[in-house]
Parts: sequence; C-alpha cells; structure tokens
Amino acid sequence: MKLSSPAPGLLISELEPAERLPNPPLNLPKDLIENNLENSQASIPSKQLSRRQEIEIFFSTFFTIFVAELGDKTQLTTLLMSAESNSPWVVFMGSGAALISTSLLGVLLGRWLSSRVSPKVLETATGTILLLVSVLLLWDVISA
Amino acid sequence: MDWNLLGLSFATVFLSELGDKSQLAAIALSGNSKSLRAVFLGAASALLLASFLGVMLGEGVSQILPTRWVKAIAAIGFAVMAIRLLWFEADSTQSEEA
Repeated sequence: MKLSSPAPGLLISELEPAERLPNPPLNLPKDLIENNLENSQASIPSKQLSRRQEIEIFFSTFFTIFVAELGDKTQLTTLLMSAESNSPWVVFMGSGAALISTSLLGVLLGRWLSSRVSPKVLETATGTILLLVSVLLLWDVISA
Repeated sequence: MDWNLLGLSFATVFLSELGDKSQLAAIALSGNSKSLRAVFLGAASALLLASFLGVMLGEGVSQILPTRWVKAIAAIGFAVMAIRLLWFEADSTQSEEA
C-alpha cells in the first residue's frame, strides 16, 4: 500500500532520464530490419521490386486464384469430408497443408522453367497455360 | 487429433490438386512475374480461404456466391490475361530485356 504511492513519483522523476536510453536501442532494430528487408529484396535475382509492386502481385494472384477455385472440386471434396467426419478443423488443416504444398510446387516449377527458357518462349507458354485455365473454367461452367 | 482423417484429407486434396488449374495458374504467374514470394503467398492464401469457406460454410457457399457466374467471370479474366500476354506484351518485354 505504501509502495504504490511513491512509485508514480519515482517513475516521473527518475525514469525520465532513463527513458532516453531505450530510444537509441529501439532505433537500432528498426535499422536492422530495414537493412534486412533491403538485403532480401536485393537477393531476388531479377530487378528490384518495391513493396507496392509486390503487394499488387500478391493481390492479383490472390483474386484470380480465389475466384478460379471457388466451387471447384477440391472445395466440394473438403466440404463433403468435413460434413461426414464432423471435425471440420482437421479436414481444413489437411487440405490447407496440401494446397500450400501444391502451390509451392507450382511456384517453384514456374521459376525453374523461367530460368531455363527464353523470355519470348516463356510468354507464349504462359499465355497458352492461362488460355487453358480459362477453357477449363468455361468447361466447368458449361458442364455444371 | 484424428491423424487418419488429417492424412486422408491431405492426400485427397494434394492428389486432386496436382496439375489442376490453380497449380497451372501458379506456374504461369510465377514464371512471368518478378516476385516469387508474392505469387506464392497470394496463391496459398487464396486456396486456404477457398477451402476454409468450403469447410466452414458447407453447402451455404453456393447460395452466397453463384459459383457458375463467378467461374464465368474468372474464365474471362484468365482469357484476357492470356490474350494480353500472347499478343500485346511481346514487344514491350523485348524492349525491357534489351
């Protein structure tokens, strides 16, 4: 009881100079983080990307794949399995791990292919794959 | 934890998703874009959200979102990206490379 009343006084008078000390140590990690971010961006072999460009790529990928995957057979499979098993979280974890690994495989395969093929061939192949994806989607629409 | 069910759902989804259109899209997008990390994170989170909706909402998802229309829109979007790549961006990237 007695300790609680002098404590605020101590905080104001004695900790004020001490508060200046944490500031420089707080700035150091920030600098380190920024340096690390710059290093990690520089480690990307091709051109340097700004954070904004990366976010744009993230969202365009997110929306195209999300929209393409809605109502897909994978979603129907997980739906049926979770309905049958009564433990939806286990099914979600299993299918989530599977989806993460297939997209990781896809991304790594794409990067590997892009390092071996000339840009022009790559563009033609990419365009063809995207056309194929859109045909597959249209097929789903028609056959549903 | 039901490890049997976990393994079963992993194997089913992994096998059915291998070479499926979302993986094809991930291959195509990552080959052509500069940031591997952004494509992977975008693809993985989209797939996770889609399967989350499937698991949690169950049949309700088809009532909230008319999936046929959504798919038709997605098909048009992919076709537009393909056509842009095949016909319009061939020259601009060549000049970028030079």
